[in-house]
Amino acid sequence: MLVDFELIKRAQTGDSAAFNEVVLAYRKRTLGTIARLISRPEDVEDVAQEVFLRLYFSLDQLRTAEVFEPWLYRLTVNAAYDYLRKHRRRMESRMSDLSEQQVVLADAVAGGRVDHDVRQQRQVRETVDALLSAVSEADRILLTLKEVEGLSLKELEKIYRVNENALKVRLFRARQRVLKALGETGSESRGKGTAKAEI
Amino acid sequence: MSNYWNQQSDRDTELNTLFQAYRAACPEAEPSANFMPEIWRRIEERQRSLFFLGRWARAFVTAAAVLSLGMAAYLYIPEGHNTMLSVESYVEAVAAGHVVDSPEFIDPEL
Repeated sequence: MLVDFELIKRAQTGDSAAFNEVVLAYRKRTLGTIARLISRPEDVEDVAQEVFLRLYFSLDQLRTAEVFEPWLYRLTVNAAYDYLRKHRRRMESRMSDLSEQQVVLADAVAGGRVDHDVRQQRQVRETVDALLSAVSEADRILLTLKEVEGLSLKELEKIYRVNENALKVRLFRARQRVLKALGETGSESRGKGTAKAEI
Repeated sequence: MSNYWNQQSDRDTELNTLFQAYRAACPEAEPSANFMPEIWRRIEERQRSLFFLGRWARAFVTAAAVLSLGMAAYLYIPEGHNTMLSVESYVEAVAAGHVVDSPEFIDPEL
């Protein structure tokens, strides 16, 4: 817990200063989670503000301060899910533009403007984003929370309010779908490689 | 068959490595200076719209209650009026039926 229970209880009673402190304590973590969930830096802050807005208006529904963190995660996941659903079309069109972005990146690399590490990190982000965009929003969020955020099954149980076995099944299926997408990407790139070799 | 499982295991490892690299590659998100003021602006905006919504809802409920009372009064008063009318019409009907040459009132001995 980044804050003590007393502070949350005070925020629940409508204490603005206490709520401010809660936001200050959790904003960085929430921004980081959202950044990894939606992978659009320009909208991260907007979604995070929406999370805290929902928090403000639903804080009185929180029964015990002990479950505050999974509850905040739940609000974050829901806001990210809403965002991803709303921007699905935009994301799809972005994926079709990926080759263009890669061309720009390649140009920059050729001009020596992009550092090797930065380029590699960007490549990793693009690859994982492309893989996660091949599965549903629900799979994307679940996998990001488990594999990237590093949440345990116990923590996920509290967020999703399902039992461990159901969660394991969902995770396994989501992972299988990503693996399938990875296999397809691999075979595509291998195919392109062969085609290039033939040319 | 074992080739398939080897491939699957390789992909699993590849995916785990990718996720780990992705975590490291995601930049730390820093909130802008406008982050907190914007939250409070949104909260106030939402509160204002909720306040107006509440006022509208209360006005609507009051109007609905007044309308219901009016309709009840309207339905009640004509009903009372109708009862009187029906009493009158009953008396009138009896009086109208009470004619001298009515067969029921003719003495049989006459």
